[in-house]
Amino acid sequence: MGELSKNSILFSDQHLCHADILPPSEVRARIEVAILNFLKNLNSSNPEVTDLPLISRKMGNSRVRRGLLTDDSKIFLSHSFSTKSLMNENTANSFIRVWKVMEMCYQILVQEKKVTQRELFYKLLCDSPHYFTSQLQVNRTIQDLVALVRCSRYSLGIMASSRGAVAGRLLLQEPNQEIVDCSTCGSSGYVISGDLNLLENLVMKSDARYIIVVEKHAIFQRLAEDRVFNQIPCILITAKGYPDIGTSRLLLHRMSREFPELPILGLVDCTPVLYLISKKTTPSCNVKWLGLRKDDIEQLVPEESLIPLKPRDHQIAKSLSSSEILQDKYKEELSFMVQSGQRAEIEALYFHGFDFLAKYIGKKIVQADYI
Amino acid sequence: MEGKHSIPNRLYLLTKIKELTRSLVEDLCNGRSPTLKIDQFTSYCSEDSGKCNQLRVTRGGFRLHLCSCCSYNLPKGKEILTLRRESQSRRFDALLRVLLIVQQLLQENKHGSKRDIYYMHPSVFKEQSVVDRAVNDICILLQCSRHNLNVVSVGNGLVMGWVRFAEAGRKFDCISSPNTAHQIPVYVEDVEDIISVAEYILIVEKESVFQRLANDQFCRKNRCIVITGRGYPDVPTRRFLHLLIEKLRLPVYCLVDCDPYGIDILATFRFGSMQMAYDAKSLRLPEIQWLGAFPSDCEKYQLPQHCLLPLTTEDKQKAEGILHRCYVEREAPSWRYELQLMLDRGVKFEIEALSVHSLTFLSENYLPSKIQMGAFI
Repeated sequence: MGELSKNSILFSDQHLCHADILPPSEVRARIEVAILNFLKNLNSSNPEVTDLPLISRKMGNSRVRRGLLTDDSKIFLSHSFSTKSLMNENTANSFIRVWKVMEMCYQILVQEKKVTQRELFYKLLCDSPHYFTSQLQVNRTIQDLVALVRCSRYSLGIMASSRGAVAGRLLLQEPNQEIVDCSTCGSSGYVISGDLNLLENLVMKSDARYIIVVEKHAIFQRLAEDRVFNQIPCILITAKGYPDIGTSRLLLHRMSREFPELPILGLVDCTPVLYLISKKTTPSCNVKWLGLRKDDIEQLVPEESLIPLKPRDHQIAKSLSSSEILQDKYKEELSFMVQSGQRAEIEALYFHGFDFLAKYIGKKIVQADYI
Repeated sequence: MEGKHSIPNRLYLLTKIKELTRSLVEDLCNGRSPTLKIDQFTSYCSEDSGKCNQLRVTRGGFRLHLCSCCSYNLPKGKEILTLRRESQSRRFDALLRVLLIVQQLLQENKHGSKRDIYYMHPSVFKEQSVVDRAVNDICILLQCSRHNLNVVSVGNGLVMGWVRFAEAGRKFDCISSPNTAHQIPVYVEDVEDIISVAEYILIVEKESVFQRLANDQFCRKNRCIVITGRGYPDVPTRRFLHLLIEKLRLPVYCLVDCDPYGIDILATFRFGSMQMAYDAKSLRLPEIQWLGAFPSDCEKYQLPQHCLLPLTTEDKQKAEGILHRCYVEREAPSWRYELQLMLDRGVKFEIEALSVHSLTFLSENYLPSKIQMGAFI
């Protein structure tokens, strides 16, 4: 048993793990190594595979699971594994499911194709009906697989769904294409391509001073229509919904590498805020929270526009607020959330008129009022 | 819905708003209780399925009984709002407040969503549905479409394939990379210069199927335009389709899951939704044909048993409901057979079931063969 912690069957023995974005050939290689290691173990004099690290499905790990769903290239995965014995039938089944999904993904990678999660579900349902009964189960197994071979979902051949958009003071050029000026892209902005290679090879130029991440597309549209980037030199980026923002996150990463001096400010609603704050425990996060924060809610949002916190968010906020590593300013915000039990959507600011949002952002930026 | 002008523009609507307000103020000045008369529209009825427009015998001889609710232009009746009843007066109040905001939007030529409007007076409106209804009422009163009021929503539709167009100066060139998705523009009235070399338009219900087609490079071998509304289509998607069909006159095929919700989405595209019944004329697409998936495809394409999921009670109710809608009998009687087959068998399946044996089956076999064989209804 003690030996097992040194002999990793899969890659997840280290404490600091990352889920990498890799090309298909490397992912296949990792899968092959995992299989070889497993076979070696079975062949050894003491073929015991009684412990298996799988993602522990506790509440506190929800931020990790969400991180996995975002295809982040660096995700802090430690403290989330639990070792379970394979002598337990349920765990054995979980283990088998991971291998079946691994097999399916391998085949897809060999064909150099991609699948959607729903297609994967049907394939597994027909291939191994005894082991797979629901989409949820398949999704969880995919999470386990991502953690175990440390490759993002997208690298394993599973298509990311949603689309992000970008607008503002940014010039983009795809290889051998015309230069696109994102400030003239209209209110829907420039749609970010789903093609990984394309994103890696985009040429970017900008004279912006800030990058503003907007979670909701409706807000993005309003700001793009108002041409807020002509008043405040910035780049607006959005991802439809949260956390499934695979391609936007990639573009954001590229932009932060390309323009490291630009602060990244987030104009997001409650659920992603919690994710944002949870990432404050890692050194690599550099997205700053612009709004809506405690003071904004108290001063700018009328009582009637407040909506109750989702029960899940409430729990996450509570558990985060007890974290030791978090700085006080975040703890204050979290405890306000927990105590009031309420949140507000960004649109609540329209109470002060349609053009208030741009003024609000401008004021906050000028006062450097972000944490 | 169009008024006297073919495209109600901002100035025309602003004038209408002033006229409406003036008449209400006049009523008040003359000691009369102001009233608003709002026409009621519906896109289908479920009684007397298929028997609209039939001769009916009533006492005293024959009388022509027109089920006028099922005509796309004629209202079913009128609703009269007064300030005398409390519930109606609240609706009156909400309507006037929304009208004020709409006036502001039109004057400044800005756009807002229904959600944005709600947040301007949350204590008065109390619920989003109040705003939604007020917006619909205003559209009916002013005889225009929602987008004419500058009330828009986030666009949800995607398009790819052999088409090129411009929107407010920006070019959407889907032809240069036919397998890349582009967002359908929200301001469809600004779309112009549509050029296409496609042979047909394919509508798919789900984004995942759209992605499958993109991943398979479907548009490389098939000269077509692929559109998805990502579920129930929003107004910009439906308007965009309407525009494409009007300009290009191409056949339109629709691919939905073989379940009641898929068929409801198909019906929404073709006949319009209840919500937007007053605007059905500019939103419905009678040219759409149901390409798949049919319950009868199960045997033809040898779908594995495991992919056939049982219909829930809710599914069955929905399917029965659709069967009884008068427009099905009147305009798409061939759909009845397949719907009935689904109910009789008690199973449903999704398009992804077709990819189980081979990921490329949908793009390389199913779709091309169905289109070629003319297997659509």
